[in-house]
Amino acid sequence: MKYLDKSIIEINKLLKEKKIKPIDLVEEAYENIESSDLNAYITLTKEEAYQKAKELEDKEVDSLLFGLPIAVKDNICTKGVLTTCASHMLDNFVPIYDATVVEKINNANMIIIGKTNMDEFAMGSSSRTSYFGAPHNPWDTNKISGGSSGGSASTIAARDVLFALGSDTGGSIRQPASYTGIVGMKPTYGRVSRYGLIAFASSLDQIGPMTKNVYENALLLNVISGHDDKDLTSANKEEDFTRLIGKDVKGMKIAIPNFFVSDIVDKEIIAKLKETVKVLEKLGATVDYVDMKYLDNAVTLYQIIAMGEASSNLARFDGIRYGHSKENPEDIKDVYFGTRAEGFGKEVKRRIMVGSYLLSGENAREYFYKALSIRDDMKQEFTNIFKDYDFVIGPTTTTTAYLLTDPMDDPSKSFMDDVLVIPVNMAGIPGLNMPIGFDKNHMPIGMQIIANSFEEAKIYQLASALEKELNLELNPNAGGDNND
Amino acid sequence: MKEKLSREEVLHVAELARIAVTEEEIEKYQVELKKLLNDVEKINEVKGYDDEILIAPWSHNTDLREDKEGEMLDPKKVIENAPRHSGNYIQVPVVIGESEGA
Repeated sequence: MKYLDKSIIEINKLLKEKKIKPIDLVEEAYENIESSDLNAYITLTKEEAYQKAKELEDKEVDSLLFGLPIAVKDNICTKGVLTTCASHMLDNFVPIYDATVVEKINNANMIIIGKTNMDEFAMGSSSRTSYFGAPHNPWDTNKISGGSSGGSASTIAARDVLFALGSDTGGSIRQPASYTGIVGMKPTYGRVSRYGLIAFASSLDQIGPMTKNVYENALLLNVISGHDDKDLTSANKEEDFTRLIGKDVKGMKIAIPNFFVSDIVDKEIIAKLKETVKVLEKLGATVDYVDMKYLDNAVTLYQIIAMGEASSNLARFDGIRYGHSKENPEDIKDVYFGTRAEGFGKEVKRRIMVGSYLLSGENAREYFYKALSIRDDMKQEFTNIFKDYDFVIGPTTTTTAYLLTDPMDDPSKSFMDDVLVIPVNMAGIPGLNMPIGFDKNHMPIGMQIIANSFEEAKIYQLASALEKELNLELNPNAGGDNND
Repeated sequence: MKEKLSREEVLHVAELARIAVTEEEIEKYQVELKKLLNDVEKINEVKGYDDEILIAPWSHNTDLREDKEGEMLDPKKVIENAPRHSGNYIQVPVVIGESEGA
């Protein structure tokens, strides 16, 4: 069988000619998932998926994405389907409405096959804070698949399905994409509606597509983007994100901030980036190394802003309206305090506590306000660089994926894993991870391409040109010699 | 910089966060929360920025929706999602004690 290994154009042709049915693709996806055993999913939605596939049999195949299976991160609300955020707090939560992106996927006649594993409430960088245990990296199942969208990254890398949704608050799409050798886009803030995305840090959160290649990534962004009456911050802009794919990148100007190639990044990764720079130059782009202020402060800003916003957003989990609630509480205070003590895991509790402290009394001015001031200057720094350059690029991560058994006792570690990806969320601009090669243990190395707000199409243009030129073997199941 | 928060400081932040903590957890948080708070202190080393703030990176125009009655969630389903409910009401323990009542 193995239809999902074919190109999306071929699959579409087969569907159109009625040589295969959507149900064949759904069946294949579940076979893949069950045989790969990566703990990438919290919930499989078999019943709904087969029913939807049946319904589609009578419909006209009207788009490239018609009938294709898709995985959805478990912090995105799905009506009637368990949505846990990988937390004990929500392990019984069945939303009564669909997130806007879920509505859009359904309207595009894609088939949701399950809800993917993640860090609890998207807080973490290795998906090991999941209440349901961590997903594994298909390139080496003893290693992490990154986080927080680790399940989505893992299932795409393993080629279980072609499409997944992730969310990115401080790198949570791009960083796991880097660790697993896939393409992940954090769109411009406002590009995709956040309605129905369980909020972590509202000024940073953004939903985005995760796929095995650049073209399919752009196709999925076409489906999920656009204005939504239910999200005031969503932008009223529509476009075809595939339109620049295949176009020449000659003359494009690229900047690499010196911080991105400083000694915080593994030498092997820097070496791979420099090889890639040569390829970009061969394609006719120019690459300069530049100084950018405030990049080294991004983790501190993120700790203050993300923990502050999270403490406020997660105040809604009170044991009263939905989700977990402490049994036989003594009084109302015990409902709040007891429920939250039982329902949240360690990482989430730490972040809520520090966030609450940072927002309390004078601290709001001392820390939060200051962080917002520096954030404005960081954004300005990007605005200035994009006056002279089309793109900023750099490595996505400082190391390749590490072992699932590595220690988790340093509370700063999960923030430091995202040191290179956080600035993009702070500035609200788009950033994409794409694989550029492998380290000596054959673990994927990723590069991020960053552009100015609403320039996703241009990012896809550069990424696809580079993807074509690199021509990497990115299927971990392929075996044999890999095109390193 | 000190390495640990005091017991009282941990209890204070736990109270702000509305999270019950055990004796064992207090000891852990004394170290772990201090580590994170030391991290955020680094904000004071940053120099040269101006007073403008950026609350959300959102500069594009958007249209406010028309102010008219729209679709509503089914109240019955909303109530059913509450862990304790009865009829059209969500149940909570007594908030105002009988002795303090009117």
